Amino acid sequence: MMIDANARYLKSHEWARKENGNVFAVGITAYAAEQLGDIVYMELPQIGREVKEGEAFGIVESVKSASDMYAPISGTVTEINKTVPDNPDILKTDAYQKGWLIKLEAANPAEFDGLMDEKAYRTYLETEA
Amino acid sequence: MKQTPLWGRHTALGARMVEFAGWQMPIQYTGGIVAEHLAVRRSAGIFDVSHMGRFRVTGAGARAFLRQALTNDCDLLPPGSAQYTILANEAGGAIDDAFLYRPAEDKYLLVVNASNKDKDLAHLQALLKSFKDTVLEDVSQSVAMIALQGPQGEQILQSLLTDGVLPAAHRNALSNFKLAGLEVCAARTGYTGEPVCFEIFLMADCAVRVWDKLMEKGALPIGLGARDTLRLEAGLPLYGHELGMGKDGLQIPVFAIGQARFAVDLNDPQRPFAGRKAMVRQSRARTAYQQGNYSDKSTLPKLIRTFRLLDSGIAREGALVYSGGRPAGWVTSGTMIPYWDYEKRDDAIMLKETHSQRAIGLCMIEPDISVGAQLEIEVRGKNLRAQVVSRNLQNTGRQTRAVL
Repeated sequence: MMIDANARYLKSHEWARKENGNVFAVGITAYAAEQLGDIVYMELPQIGREVKEGEAFGIVESVKSASDMYAPISGTVTEINKTVPDNPDILKTDAYQKGWLIKLEAANPAEFDGLMDEKAYRTYLETEA
Repeated sequence: MKQTPLWGRHTALGARMVEFAGWQMPIQYTGGIVAEHLAVRRSAGIFDVSHMGRFRVTGAGARAFLRQALTNDCDLLPPGSAQYTILANEAGGAIDDAFLYRPAEDKYLLVVNASNKDKDLAHLQALLKSFKDTVLEDVSQSVAMIALQGPQGEQILQSLLTDGVLPAAHRNALSNFKLAGLEVCAARTGYTGEPVCFEIFLMADCAVRVWDKLMEKGALPIGLGARDTLRLEAGLPLYGHELGMGKDGLQIPVFAIGQARFAVDLNDPQRPFAGRKAMVRQSRARTAYQQGNYSDKSTLPKLIRTFRLLDSGIAREGALVYSGGRPAGWVTSGTMIPYWDYEKRDDAIMLKETHSQRAIGLCMIEPDISVGAQLEIEVRGKNLRAQVVSRNLQNTGRQTRAVL
């Protein structure tokens, strides 16, 4: 399963990666995208919205279910990737690069260090599966 | 957990297996629900429906027994045909919905939902005690069942036919024939809304061979996920959603679904099936509604209606429905459904190579909200606009198209 070594992870299968300064890209993992199956609808937040670590920042829906997507870190939404909701298949092929969903200006960048790193997430996936 | 005779095929095909009513069943294969749904609408799909309950009813008393056990009248069912029917309770609600097949003069086969099989069998066995010379057998293990649905289905079966003839070209026709040398019984029935549709009964030990032959001829395996989207697009009820117990904890009256007119026969007053009295009242209420008379809503407080969403989003089961700001009911089934884009050419419908999607569903709402009316459906605290429609799928003869 594809995992980005530069990103850090939540148990609910979201990732965050430091872009520049205090700005972090956030998305869902390739594992999450595969588990969801065909993604048919997504809702992303408005630019400027403040989210807290662990708070839902958007919705991803498959044919069978709707799931919240949780913010790995607290911050303000500075950018959203509108391409993905229009073409969610991107998540199947490139969940970590073209598949980023929002960019957050971190309120407390130290939260990033508390997330699972690549190795921990890989172990988590192995034990969960 | 139980496995159908085709379990090995599903896992070999890379299906995602889930628990369903005590069975390990494929929710989808590797292509996914959207691709499977579209394949049925354009070419043909095969479904392992061996998990469903199959009861054989034989003996001199079979006819009298079935006339009392089911809402439809098996006297109207000649050998070589099938009918939609319901196991009802005295209150006029459904214990289950079912299909009754008559493969021979003296043999009936009742197919019920997997999730209700034990309950149905107990109900039928209790009733059976007052009938002589009637044999009710659970043949769910020995007989397998494969559905073949979609425009290419007929050619596929024809190409495998080695003896006998396919059922006559009208809905619910049934015949016994041989496929690749193996004896099968098939009826033109299904749960997809496809006009070209077959459900094939065969001995369990023949299931793998027939499945493989159907795949060789181009039929694509379809899982339970697309089975649900296909029936929803066709507006067909699913027990536990549009039949059985409603979100309000009350029995859904059988006549709340439009299909009741195919499933319930009230013509013979001498036929004493359970729920008859209640359904006579329900049927009258439905007729009154059709005449625009809504003065008494007590018998049928709500009806199952088809809707499409006008705003973007998805309205799922349980979402509350409003009409003009007033509570009107709730969604019973709803999701995003894919469809082939199409164009009209000389009155014919040509499917394009591209597909789109739209959110649709079924809801249980106040009876005086008519087709075309606008609804609001509450999704995560927001009201999305929806519209009551007569259908979301149009039968164009040999195939179907989306109604947009």
